[in-house]
Amino acid sequence: MGDSRSSSDRHLFLVARKPRFGLPTACPSCLPVYLYLKLANADFSVEFDSSFPDSDHIPYVEYGESVALNNEKGGVIELLKEEAILDLNAKHTSLAIPDLVSTKAMVSSWLYEAILYELWIAIGGDVTHNIYFSDLPWPIGKILHWKKIYNVKKLLGVTKVNCEERELEIYKKANEAYEALSLKLGDQVFFFDNRPTDVDALFLGHALFVLHALPETSELRSNLLKHDNLVKYAEHLKAELQLDSTPSSTQPSSSSKDASTSSAPRRKPSSGWGAKPNPKPKKEKTEEEKKFRRRAKYFLATQLVAVLVFLSLMGVPGDSEMDDEDAVDYDEE
Amino acid sequence: MANSDPIPRDQAPPSDSEETNGADEISEEGEEEEDTEYEEFEEEEEELDPVRERERLKSIFRRLSTDPVHVRVHDVVIKGNTKTKDAIIEAEISDLFKKPRTVQELVAAASIANARLKQLDVFDSVSITLDAGPAELPGTTNVVIEVVEASNPLTGNVGVFSKPEARSWSLEGSLKLKNLFGHADIWDTSGAFGWDQSLEIGTGVWVPRFKSVPTPLSARAFLLSQDWLKFSSYKERLMGLNFGLLSTNNHDLSYNLTWRTLTDPTRMSSPSIRRQLGHNVLSALKYCYKIDRRDSHLRPKSGYAFSSTSQVSGLWDLRGLKFFRQEFDLRAAMPLGFWNAALNVGLSAGAIFPLGRNFTKLSTSVPDRFFLGGHSSLVCSLGGPSSLLGFQTRGLGPNDMRRVLNLNKDEGLSVQSDCHDFVGGDLAVTAFADVSFDLPLKIFRDAGIHGHAFVCAGNLAKLSEGEIRNFSAERFLKTFRSSAGVGVILPTKFFRVEVNYCHVLKQFENDHGKNGIQFSFSSPL
Repeated sequence: MGDSRSSSDRHLFLVARKPRFGLPTACPSCLPVYLYLKLANADFSVEFDSSFPDSDHIPYVEYGESVALNNEKGGVIELLKEEAILDLNAKHTSLAIPDLVSTKAMVSSWLYEAILYELWIAIGGDVTHNIYFSDLPWPIGKILHWKKIYNVKKLLGVTKVNCEERELEIYKKANEAYEALSLKLGDQVFFFDNRPTDVDALFLGHALFVLHALPETSELRSNLLKHDNLVKYAEHLKAELQLDSTPSSTQPSSSSKDASTSSAPRRKPSSGWGAKPNPKPKKEKTEEEKKFRRRAKYFLATQLVAVLVFLSLMGVPGDSEMDDEDAVDYDEE
Repeated sequence: MANSDPIPRDQAPPSDSEETNGADEISEEGEEEEDTEYEEFEEEEEELDPVRERERLKSIFRRLSTDPVHVRVHDVVIKGNTKTKDAIIEAEISDLFKKPRTVQELVAAASIANARLKQLDVFDSVSITLDAGPAELPGTTNVVIEVVEASNPLTGNVGVFSKPEARSWSLEGSLKLKNLFGHADIWDTSGAFGWDQSLEIGTGVWVPRFKSVPTPLSARAFLLSQDWLKFSSYKERLMGLNFGLLSTNNHDLSYNLTWRTLTDPTRMSSPSIRRQLGHNVLSALKYCYKIDRRDSHLRPKSGYAFSSTSQVSGLWDLRGLKFFRQEFDLRAAMPLGFWNAALNVGLSAGAIFPLGRNFTKLSTSVPDRFFLGGHSSLVCSLGGPSSLLGFQTRGLGPNDMRRVLNLNKDEGLSVQSDCHDFVGGDLAVTAFADVSFDLPLKIFRDAGIHGHAFVCAGNLAKLSEGEIRNFSAERFLKTFRSSAGVGVILPTKFFRVEVNYCHVLKQFENDHGKNGIQFSFSSPL
């Protein structure tokens, strides 16, 4: 399992949310993973999940008996790199690494927060419904929608008091990120050494979502459109990767589902209803402990049975006597 | 009785004068004799009246009980109901008093009426009196129903039970508020906490009839959470409404609208379970037909029982789960003629099919599939295939490998947690034979403690997602799991305890069958 294998040796299964807006998957968390696999020329199939919009483990990639979940170890891309399944950064020189890491941090934080704010707080409505909740019955979708908005506000620290201030801060950081990326990209095809990296996957996913999924009234979209080279970069790669055609997906497993739902923020495992993350597997009990527990259970059960037998045999104040309430009394004159 | 008619003294004929003295003496003597006889006769009559009265009453009762004494009900009078509407009581008993034509039939009808009113569970006592009808209408009677409404409308109880569908036993408590609106309505709130940290909270209302619907109706809202992490790597949370639409002795029709969420906080689930995680809506109509002609449901010795449960889901919205589920359960008991022994046999089967286009390729939802295993009683539980002694709960059948963790990449080490998730089957069949018998010691027999020997078998198969094409009846029969054992059953006031030693006769790879002693606790009712 820990062997380094090239992507061509292993078929991968990506489970993401459903396609929409001309994108292979309309979820801003799933799209970068999809693009990463595409850029790495991985052999993968896509399945869509439409029943878990508030999950944080989607998207995930199954490879063999293992799986890379979105809410573990920094996400699917980081896990695929760590497991040496797919590492787009492997061929880059060590000189580019610090720049790459800082650029990635900027995209993963500032632009990610901007997408969250724009999608769930600034715009919301039909866009989020179409991406995440359209395949669920209306009451459930509505409740989950409200729950998601609440979680996003909590994550971004947005309150009624500081809403405007927080909005300005988020847009300001997004603009600074766009300017920095625009300067970094210049006329290149990719951000670093004309070779794709995970930064390309992350930003391309962001850019395509902003350009195609957000409405024209979106401020984030307007800001991105100001940087022509970023827009051209996104459209060029979209055409080159042939993202216009719907990805060939396997039949969804459940009977009435055929669309995708979105994932929760990657940062914090804001889990689904009642779920508490437990990343570490349970400590294996020793044989002695198991034996002790088993014997203890038998002992307790035997004691209980003995008490019950004693009570039965010694005559528990027994079943209620047949009373005469059922008897009908009547008199005649 | 005296032979001569006594003549009162003042009416005695006068005697002749010549013979007056002698005659007087004679007549006086005669009169004295007659007085004595009269007094003796009167004393005899006073002694004989109570006897005559008792004889008279006996002959009346004899006549009432054997001879058809014709009578007609003139009126039904209801007394004592301050809160309960007359219409509710009348509706329960109206059909009973129209038909009786004799006193015997009337007494039987009164007994049934008494039981029906008590069954409403809103009265402390019910008494029915047959009073004489109006004088101008001979041969009629008035039925007087006197009820005493529950003095304390709020009742509660606590108990420990185990259910076949649950993993283990649970502590259950409930509060009931009776007759709040005078329609014999019962409002209840209940909670159950399971040994396996499962939790159920519910509140509901039950009415014996509503407007033109003559059968009981119920509505219930519930919240249930169950932990199947150990067996199938998921936790289940259900929230919904259940409506009882029709409920009679044999038929039960209900509608269930449930929001179900499956999660895996451990992130160790197999691919099959991982794809099932999420939210679903179950909008299902369920019909259950049950007939139980066994002499006892705890230790049946003769009779038979049959139940059929059909469930159709996907009624409310196109986006809910859509499937058809059917279960059958057939039982029979026959006495063996020695040691108070009886042979019980049973056969259960169930199947679930997804509904929709290309349904053979579609999948069914894991919680709706069939699972076999556990310690619930073979004889007592009636309701589809579920129990297979000797195997752990959800301990056999189709399974999928759980996630592999790569803990030490350099050394190539990987850890797999507890290997497999049991994902259930779309087709399930179980069968059993059980012989119960009294134990030799009288003290056990008097306490109802008896022994039993059993053999049971069962199997699961997957039919969905195209597997129906690979299904082979021959292979299904060959892969039946089976077990046998002996045990002791202790019926106590609080639990019904079964202590069994089970020996697994046949199991397959990845099954969780285990030889040894097992305990089962179930309701004593």
